[in-house]
Amino acid sequence: MKMHNFSPVDGLLRDNTVLSAGMVISPIIICGNNLQNAVALIYAFSIITLFSVALASFVPQKLPYAAKIIAYAIISSAIFIPVKILTEQIYPQCSESIGIYFPLLAVNSLIVYQTEVRFFKMRKLKMISSLVFYILGFDFVILLVGFIRELLAYGTIYNHVVNMDSIISGIGAPFGGFILLGLLCGIFRKLRTIASSGNDSDSEVK
Amino acid sequence: MLINKAKKERFVWLDITITLAALQLMAYFYYGLHTVVTAFACVAFSFVCEYISVRLSNKKFTADNLTCVSDGLIISLMMPAGIDYKIPVMACIFANVVGKNIFGGRKNIIFSPAAVGYLFALTSWKDKLNMYPLPFARIGIREQAKELAVSASYTFNTTGKLSLSDYDILLGNFCGGVGTVSILLLLISAVILLFRRDISLGAFVGAVAGNVFMSVVCPVTSDISDTLKYVFTTNMTLFATIFIISDIRTTPHKSYYSFYYGLFTALISYALLLTTGIENLSVIIAVLLTPLALALKKLEDKIKYLKSTETIVETVKQNNELSEEIAADISVENDDISEIASDAIKEINEISGNNVSAVSFEAAQIGEGDISENA
Amino acid sequence: MFIITQLITQLCANIIFSQALGTSTIIIAARNKKNLAFAACTIMLFTTAGSSLAYFADKVISSENQNWLMLCYVSIIALLYVCALTLLWLINKNIFNKAKLYIHISAFNCAVAGSMLMAHNKAVGMHIFYNYFKSGLEAGIGFLLASLILTAAYKNLNSSKVPASFRGFPAMLVYIGIISMALYALK
Repeated sequence: MKMHNFSPVDGLLRDNTVLSAGMVISPIIICGNNLQNAVALIYAFSIITLFSVALASFVPQKLPYAAKIIAYAIISSAIFIPVKILTEQIYPQCSESIGIYFPLLAVNSLIVYQTEVRFFKMRKLKMISSLVFYILGFDFVILLVGFIRELLAYGTIYNHVVNMDSIISGIGAPFGGFILLGLLCGIFRKLRTIASSGNDSDSEVK
Repeated sequence: MLINKAKKERFVWLDITITLAALQLMAYFYYGLHTVVTAFACVAFSFVCEYISVRLSNKKFTADNLTCVSDGLIISLMMPAGIDYKIPVMACIFANVVGKNIFGGRKNIIFSPAAVGYLFALTSWKDKLNMYPLPFARIGIREQAKELAVSASYTFNTTGKLSLSDYDILLGNFCGGVGTVSILLLLISAVILLFRRDISLGAFVGAVAGNVFMSVVCPVTSDISDTLKYVFTTNMTLFATIFIISDIRTTPHKSYYSFYYGLFTALISYALLLTTGIENLSVIIAVLLTPLALALKKLEDKIKYLKSTETIVETVKQNNELSEEIAADISVENDDISEIASDAIKEINEISGNNVSAVSFEAAQIGEGDISENA
Repeated sequence: MFIITQLITQLCANIIFSQALGTSTIIIAARNKKNLAFAACTIMLFTTAGSSLAYFADKVISSENQNWLMLCYVSIIALLYVCALTLLWLINKNIFNKAKLYIHISAFNCAVAGSMLMAHNKAVGMHIFYNYFKSGLEAGIGFLLASLILTAAYKNLNSSKVPASFRGFPAMLVYIGIISMALYALK
């Protein structure tokens, strides 16, 4: 992730949580093989990350580094408790479909590492807007991966059967997740390079 | 030198393609036109994928890039006859794009592309890949195999028994991948490719040695010779040993190091064959042990580098010793000269008793002059 | 024969190749070859110690209070993290100064927390300390094996011959994917 010229919308595309920085990969690879799981992951990740980072921003910055890291992890795992109780009431299939990856979202790299490196160097309002875009960036990728994998591996879209000629079941397996994500990362980087070179030439013209 | 190397790469591809074409001909004889169309489709899609990938990475498409054709042919020969065309085609696309060109193409090959393509097909369409038509079931271009049976490998792995005559084994008259059962042709191909140095001798010998060792130590059947026979002829062992395990693009360059890669592949495949009974383990283990091949390559490079630095250090040492010897010789010569000079002074002193100081000064000057000349 | 079969079984149940736990960590650590070896060894210690301590946490937390499990596990990891830092400080202050910026990556990650949760799931109704310890050690060895496999191809994956857009992290994911595919074929 680049450390200069922070823009709140960077997290959505330019510095995407998954495609650019390689964070929060495991739930996408294992659970992101259909849209239903993708939606469950979006719900869990968005709530836990948003509230955890927002609350963690009140941790005094003068504390030693190790103490701050511990505080962030404990805050996010404490946030997980009400989120889980709430989830069991309003979205019961969420915990079932994503299994151990639901509690593991509490120690995701965006909360543990990026808070200190990026978010807490901003002002509160800018931090929240930037965080929202980072979360949206993750949501976009998980939706895309879930859609592609469900369509190719099972021939369905959100459990609705689509008239597919042939099904590639391997895409739904963990290795399919690794390879698809690797391909998407490469394509994303290529597009970003093209876009940035386009911007450079535009600025040169101006 | 460079031209020779480039030529060699092309000739390797040509030799391998010729042997694969011979296997393809045999497959046509047994299963009909369907196998030929499958091979053409594989070659065509591999070529297109390679061409697009090379162009996208702003490189020139040369004759060396045609290795993709042999990869396509290997994939088509590992498939059962009469398989849906889409499966080998997708395997070829995957092999060329994911298994090869993402890592930088032919100059930075990590995995054997054909093995990666086959594994992709195996994991995605397992049921279709492990059922084979019987030999001489001639399948037309638009037809699909009607009567399917399990392979000879499956029977051997699960029961430990197989009743095939040597004649049938040599000619490939049993169920299996279209090009992997023609044992006689495969043996001839192995000999040709080994003599032409198109495949890695070390890896080939290692794989054969590993299988022989395991067959002797823990035979599958009661008879060791039967075990040896069936271990090499079933489960694509011979085919994979020649075209995947001994692929010079993935194995270490020196036979000494590639031997271990072949040996470990064979040992692990055999051990898993006994415990799990999974078919075509050689191909799977060859991919799984790629990190070992990479580590051996690295070790090879390191030892090469250490050897070259050692020779440099030795040469420098020898030069130093030589220069020291020369310096010592010079000092000995100087001592001799100074001794002669002092003797001369003594003699002069004895001859002319009164003019000692003046003459000795001159003699000393002559001596110094000689020394500087010698130096 | 037994060793080979065990090795392959371990690889098939590997936390990276089959569960993708700690993939982000291995990718962050793989930016530097030395870091990768250090992180892998530290994570092995954390998973083993963490899973062993999870045994005591599971004994304390009743089945009705399972929601508190994650908080409890994170507290255990925090405790281990502090212990590791103190130990490093006592051993050598230079190493401590270098490691303090990286050691939290080895502590707070999906591999460590995931191995604890896996040990908890495996031990349903049968809380035996050895099982927790074994599960944690297996996860750690799995991570170490994965990092060794990644180290073997490190040079090739970061080579200038790899297209710029795939160099490094995307090529690494595809490489892990292909190894994972070979292991999947063995199942």
